[in-house]
Order: sequence, then structure tokens, then C-alpha cells
Amino acid sequence: MTPPPIEASLIRFDNVSRFYGEVLGVNRVTLSIPPGITSLVGPNGSGKTTLMNLMTGLVRPTRGAIRVLGIAPDDPENLFRLVGYATQFDSFPKGLTGFQFVYSFLRLFGKSHAECEALASQSIERVHMSEAADRKVAAYSKGMRQRIRLAQAMAHDPRVLVLDEPLNGLDPLVRAETIALFRELAAEGRHVIVSSHILHEVDMISDQVILLSNGYVVAEGQIHEVRSEIHEQPMQVMIRCNRPAALASKVFEQDHVVEARLDPDSGGLLIKTRDADRFYRMLNQIALDGIEIESVAPADDNVNSVYEYLIGGEGPAK
Amino acid sequence: MIRPWCRQILAVIRLEMRKTFFARRGWWVYLLAFAPVAIWAGHAIDVSRSRDPALASAKTVPSFALDSIETGMTPDEVIAKLGQPYSRRAFRTRRIDREVMSYTDGGNTYTFVFDHGELHGIRHAELCNLNQDSVIFAAVFQYFFLRLAIFFGCAGIFMNLFRGEMIDKSLHFYLLAPMRREVLLVGKYLAGLLATVVIFTGSAALQLLIFVAHFDSQVRAEYLNGPGWSQIAAYLGVTALACLGYGSVFLAAGLLFRNPIIPAAAVLLWENVNLFLPAALKKISVIFYLQSLCPVVAPPGRDMSPVLALLVSNAEPAPAALAVAGLIVVTLAVLAMAARKARRLEINYGTD
Repeated sequence: MTPPPIEASLIRFDNVSRFYGEVLGVNRVTLSIPPGITSLVGPNGSGKTTLMNLMTGLVRPTRGAIRVLGIAPDDPENLFRLVGYATQFDSFPKGLTGFQFVYSFLRLFGKSHAECEALASQSIERVHMSEAADRKVAAYSKGMRQRIRLAQAMAHDPRVLVLDEPLNGLDPLVRAETIALFRELAAEGRHVIVSSHILHEVDMISDQVILLSNGYVVAEGQIHEVRSEIHEQPMQVMIRCNRPAALASKVFEQDHVVEARLDPDSGGLLIKTRDADRFYRMLNQIALDGIEIESVAPADDNVNSVYEYLIGGEGPAK
Repeated sequence: MIRPWCRQILAVIRLEMRKTFFARRGWWVYLLAFAPVAIWAGHAIDVSRSRDPALASAKTVPSFALDSIETGMTPDEVIAKLGQPYSRRAFRTRRIDREVMSYTDGGNTYTFVFDHGELHGIRHAELCNLNQDSVIFAAVFQYFFLRLAIFFGCAGIFMNLFRGEMIDKSLHFYLLAPMRREVLLVGKYLAGLLATVVIFTGSAALQLLIFVAHFDSQVRAEYLNGPGWSQIAAYLGVTALACLGYGSVFLAAGLLFRNPIIPAAAVLLWENVNLFLPAALKKISVIFYLQSLCPVVAPPGRDMSPVLALLVSNAEPAPAALAVAGLIVVTLAVLAMAARKARRLEINYGTD
């Protein structure tokens, strides 16, 4: 079997802009999103939802072109066989139970009654909502509504799952279950695109991130790669060793080290360096000079720091 | 390709049924639709109360004798001239001492009203007959049922199909299904059409049933053996066509306008001034073709002022085939325009 062409496994934005009258939604976005969990991160109004709406055809680009696994978003007949989207709108058609909601919209796919019943049940089971499936959606808690929307979005087994703030309103246990579900879906080779305000969760779940600010993509890729590209901010490294003070005096001899701070609580030393490669080479030399190094770990190689450096303290919860 | 579309259309209709038939905000549509049924039921009860004793007792009095009665006469003098009335009722309070006696010459009723023992007023009315009731039915049908009940009923149901979902922020669920927007539009239109046709032809059928049933069996048989069935079919057909035409207009209005009340008011105005428009302009309206298809011509109201009556213009009704074809063509054109809009539809609830 020949592997699918690369185009058919990516979500591509090619110089896409979207304006709402005079207001900028997103501007000059060029992206390629591979399978796995991709998080869209940015403050309110940064363009996360616009980006999701653009890739699902709910809004159209003012300029540029979008392809989702090779399909244009204005071809819903083909697109939504492959894509499921749980929007942030907390609203439902009136009078339906959770099961009826998932089942009824599956019928729009043209599937048979039996097939829709089976798919709806499976999907509801996957989000652990089977017991509440026969209750009216109007009587659900916010977390339950979030989960039934997720069940509806993935009921037809899509290859791309787009989820706008999917963890909002979930209690810690359900949050953990849902993150595990995302990982499971990503491990099956699907695209799982989530937007989130909660940076430590983004850090936990993401294979790659897209950082947005004021409608522009400010960074994209794996967190580590993104961090290493931010040359303006010195890299932070936490080192635990038997003689942190001695280590501090040694590292200060290096011109690329801009700061060294002792951390008495952890018995460690926080270093800020402008050249990580030279620093790690130097560290090997120091280890040979009799300082016993227990651990070396990047201290700002995470979404939180990257967000702070690129966007500033504008918004999301940490 | 057609079969999957049909399945999707059926799925849309199933989803819309609850909203079109049982919407909590839609109770007034039933009220509008069935108001004429209540009017005809009231009329039937009234007629049966006044007509049946008159005809059953068969106490007809010659017209010339009835016309000879004058105000100022006492009840005894009237009875002396005409004999016993078929109906005699008295109302007595501290201030009022009124007696009402009714006679018939077979075709008309004469009601004599006595105050304090003296004939004060004479009311003269034709006994209920089929021709007269047919004209009244036509007037109620054309001036209330078509122009107001179906018009507003269709506005309420069809505008809600898209605009209502935008207000409720639930339209995106449809737009996220693997379905052409045109198929969604057709599904929603058919759901609205099904609901309005069931509600309004149901009401028209009930009105016709009561209209026919309140005559005695001989008159009823004559009517049904004569023009009856074709008139009934025409009224039901016109009702369905009205739903078809107005439905498409209001579905498009719900898609094209953020506030569809304004275009609805404009269409209402246009349809209602149709009576006064020049013949050429009359033809650019739904009501002209619907009226052309109505089996009985409804005259303008008797109470219309002479100035307004002067403004009424006459236009030859369109031939039935042309009227039906015209309505269908207009409907398809409006739906095509709505489908074009649906293809470009975006979800932007914040500004909708």
C-alpha cells in the first residue's frame, strides 16, 4: 500500500488572513499542522477560535487558502467525513436528550438508524456519559455539556478533531480522563487540535503548539524547538550538585552566563546562559573537576515560559 | 447521489419537526390558523339556533304582511296581524322591559323589538343560505386567512428555521455535517412546508367541514353534487400554495436579513395594498395569484369608504395554470437566491 501523500496528512494554512470588517481576526497565517495533539495558545482575541472556524469552513478567509487533509473547507460534503469540531458555543437544539443529540446529528451523515445508534452509544461511552445519555441536555452540568459536545464531534470517527477550549468546566478527574482520551486519539494517528488557556495542561498534552497574539502566529512547533529559537531570552538551567557555590563561581567565568542564582531550598543553582551548547560543554568539564552534579534540567523549556517570552503576561491562566 | 441527499433531507426534517410543530414560542401560529374555525363554529351554532325552529315549525308569513308592521304597535297587535311568532323572548330588568319576536317569510327573518310594550325596531335579515355564506367564506378566507393567518404563520415558522437557530446559537451543528448547504436549505424548507401545510390546510379543511355541515342535508347534497368538491379542492390547494410561496419568501428573509421583521413588514404592506395597485403591479405579488385561484370572488368590504372604493382597481385574474406555474416559479427563484446565500453563510453569532 502506498503511503498517503504528505498533503493528505496535513492541515495547511497558506498566507491566510481574515478580517471582520475593520477588525483583524488572523493575519498572514502560514502553517502546516501534522497529526498529533496541537495546542493553540494565546490570550482572548488572539485568533484561536477564528483559526478553528477557518479550518472548518464556519468562516471564510478574506485572503489565502486552507486545505484540511487536502480538502478545502468550502467542501463540507467531503470535509466533515474527516473532521469533527466541538465549538465553544454552549448551546444545543432544544428538547433533546444527550443520546438524541448525538444520534440526530449522525443521521445527517446519511447513515442508517442502526449504525447511528451504535456510533452514538460508542461515542457517549467513550466520554463516560452513558448513564446520563437519556437525560435532557438542558439538565446537564457545564462539564457534561462539554463532554456530550465532544462525543458529538467524534461520533463519526473523524481523522481531525478540532476542540475549542475542551477542558473548560471539567472537574479534575474528568479532565484527566479527557486528556487521556486526547492522547489515545493522537496515538491512533489523528489530528487533535485544541485551544486552551491553561498553560500547564497545554504543556502536558501537546505534541506541538501554535502561539497566537493579536491575530498573528508568533511561534509554532514543538515546545523545545520554539524555546531554542528565542535567542533574546537567556536559557535557564537548573543544576543540582554537592557544591552549588563553587559551581556558581566557576560558571561566572564564562562570558555567555548572564546570571547564576543559588537556590538554598533545593540545593541547586539556577543558571541563565545565552549559549546553551557552550554551557553544556563547559558543564562536562566542570564535572571532571570534582563537583558532583546530580541533575541538570532546563528551567524554562515549557509553554509557560515560551508564552511569557513571546506574548507577555497578557492572559492565560497558569 | 440523489439517495444520500434524500436521506440527509429526511434527517433534517426529523430534527426540525419538534421546532416547527411544537415550538413553545409558536403557539400563536395555531391561534391564528384556527381562529376562522372558531368563527365558523360560532356561526354554525348561531344559525342552527335561529334557523331550525323557524323551518321546523314552518310558520312562514307572507312578506307583504310582515312589511305592513309599523313601529309603535303593541305585541298583541302584531300577533293579531301575523299570528304567533316562531321565537319569542323577553328581557326584563328595572330599567328595561324588552320583548323580541321573530317571524320568517321563508327566505328572510324579521325581528321585532318591543320596548315597554311598543314596537321600537324592526330588523330584517336574509335567512342563512349557501350563496351568502359562500361569499362570506371567500371574504374570510381571502382577507383574513390568506393575507394574515397564513402570512404571519409562515413568517413565524419559516423565518425561525435559520434566524431562530442563529439566535439560539445552534445552527453550526448543521453546518458541521457532511452535507451541502443547498441540501440543508431544502430540508429545512420542506420541514417548514410540512408543518404549515398540515396546520393551515388542516384549519381550512375544518372550516370547510363546518361550512358545509351547518346546512341541511338537501342543500349540502346539492352543493357537493354541484361546485362543492371542486371549491373545497381549490381552497385546500390555494392554502397549500400560499404556504409554498410565502414559505420561500420568509425562509429567504431569515437568511438574508439580520432583522427579518422589516422585510416581512414590507411584504405585508405590498400584499395588502395589492387591492389598490394598478393591474400591472398587482401581478407582482403572491396574493394576486392566490386570489386568482380562489373559487369564489370576495368583494371588498361593504364598510369600505367611497374614497377607498374609488381607488380599488380591477385586474383580470390569472388563468389557473398560469397562476400555479407563476407561484412555483417564484418559489423556486426565491429558494435559489436563498441557496446562494446559504452557500456563503458564516457562523458569527456575536454579530447576528
